[in-house]
Amino acid sequence: MPTAPSTSEDAGTPAVEVRSLAKAYGKVEALKGIDLTVGKGEMFALLGPNGAGKTTLFSILATLRAPTAGAARVLGLDVVADRDAIRREMGIVFQEPAIEQRLSGRDNLMLMGLLYGHTLAGAKRRASEILTRLGIADSADRLAKTLSGGQRRKLELARALVTDPRILFLDEATLGLDVDARRMFWGQIRGLADEGRTVFFTTHYMEEAEVADRIALIDSGRIVALGTPAELKARVGGGVVTLRTADDERAREWLRGRGFAPEAGGQAITIVHADPAAIIPDLLRNLPVRVDRAEVHAPSLEDVFLKLTGRGLEGGGGKP
Amino acid sequence: MMRAIFAIVILDLKRFWLDRARLIAGLIQPLLYLFVLGAGIGASVKMGGGDYRRFIFPGTMGLSLLFSATFAAITIVFDRQIGFFKAILVSPVPRSAIAFGKIIAGALQALAQGLILLPFAPLAGATLNLGQCIEMVGAMALASLTFSAIGVGFACRFNSTTVFPIVSNAVLLPMFFLSGGLYPLRAAPAWMQVAAHFDPVAYAVDLMRGSVLGVFYFPVPLSLGALALTISLVAWAAVRVFNRGEDDSGLGATNFNWRR
Repeated sequence: MPTAPSTSEDAGTPAVEVRSLAKAYGKVEALKGIDLTVGKGEMFALLGPNGAGKTTLFSILATLRAPTAGAARVLGLDVVADRDAIRREMGIVFQEPAIEQRLSGRDNLMLMGLLYGHTLAGAKRRASEILTRLGIADSADRLAKTLSGGQRRKLELARALVTDPRILFLDEATLGLDVDARRMFWGQIRGLADEGRTVFFTTHYMEEAEVADRIALIDSGRIVALGTPAELKARVGGGVVTLRTADDERAREWLRGRGFAPEAGGQAITIVHADPAAIIPDLLRNLPVRVDRAEVHAPSLEDVFLKLTGRGLEGGGGKP
Repeated sequence: MMRAIFAIVILDLKRFWLDRARLIAGLIQPLLYLFVLGAGIGASVKMGGGDYRRFIFPGTMGLSLLFSATFAAITIVFDRQIGFFKAILVSPVPRSAIAFGKIIAGALQALAQGLILLPFAPLAGATLNLGQCIEMVGAMALASLTFSAIGVGFACRFNSTTVFPIVSNAVLLPMFFLSGGLYPLRAAPAWMQVAAHFDPVAYAVDLMRGSVLGVFYFPVPLSLGALALTISLVAWAAVRVFNRGEDDSGLGATNFNWRR
């Protein structure tokens, strides 16, 4: 039976606390010792390529899966022992739809309210509140399957908010949405985080991770970097030069001979340098191959990932 | 817990209402048994002291309830992969509430199907007075609950809807054929009579037939007890499956594609 939310733990308790967490599926180690702390009210992104362990870590924190070793606490509660208590305090948006497409949005939310122990009247009131808040009250009585992709995602978010969660888990929640719809979606998430809710999300869109307060980069079951978007980018140093040449192999060789360190992967040649603008003239003048394109830009999270793992986030190019 | 069960029942009934055309389609099979098979065989055979169609009416009712209850249960299979059920699974709702909600919802759907078939009884030569009607509906309700529990018991173990035809041919049809729905158990070969004692459908059909013909094969308390026992056992087993393992994003099913 639902009990009152346990707000008794002290304010210093982190929203998420993970210690030496490991998960194996048979012989396959999906997570190889994860340590992580997420503060209350923080907007935290888990970024990594497919198969990196993102979904596994997410599932363990959202109490969908049990760890093989180590411990994970959400809002001070153990993900295995206190599973139901966490579930009362969390909202979750899946990659796949988790609403009944053949019912209206309002009906979906009302049923969700009943499931969480609201009375019929209470569930109806709560549904209206959330629909208004997310700006989808106008289309709330249409069948979910007739809504646009963006509206349907908002409805998923609305479903997750029925319980007034203190922590919100989003798993690739904007997959398949266009840029405008994604921006609107994240605007609303930001609003929820500003109210003091913790948001923990996975994504492989880099520009989405940028909205987070902190990002963990995960690769092959390990966290390879953790920090604010600015901190992560600072790891790359001053800036990035990207070159497209007639013969990338020859160009890389020549660069190495000149003491530059071109990154191993990627479709173009990437050089991280403290003062990229200063080296461009030298490169253009002296490279023994034709340069088709030269760019200097501030480091992106993609560059960070490339530098740390030698691979792009989308899994394209680079070594396997 | 009651509200959660209520929510699950309402969800399923709302969806059932969207599919109400199924109620008409669901009439075809029992009516074929009753007015084609029944009329054909009945032309040369009398049974239960009268019209053969009257004799098999409770049997065809059993068939109808059995198949509609099981069909209702298979929604579990695709729901847990996608759809509202996935949201239910990550809620703090006790797994037993999910199982009970599903069983009750399936039973109500089967009962609705049965109530649509019931008015055909006089056409099959089985005119019922009010008392018989009440007995019949009571027996139908108990049968629906039993079959729904059996359906949920099966459905929660599968993660693909393609196995449903296999289950229906390998399990449901044998249960129906052994139940004595189409012939009197009393005159059946001994092994079939023994087997019928282990077939919940046989008790359900016997209760319904008793309310139409006034003659029972099993003692009524035995039938009631057997059905109650079946419901409890199957529901308990279903709750166990729903509860199995912490990796319950697949509701106990193990084929989760973690790589995606």
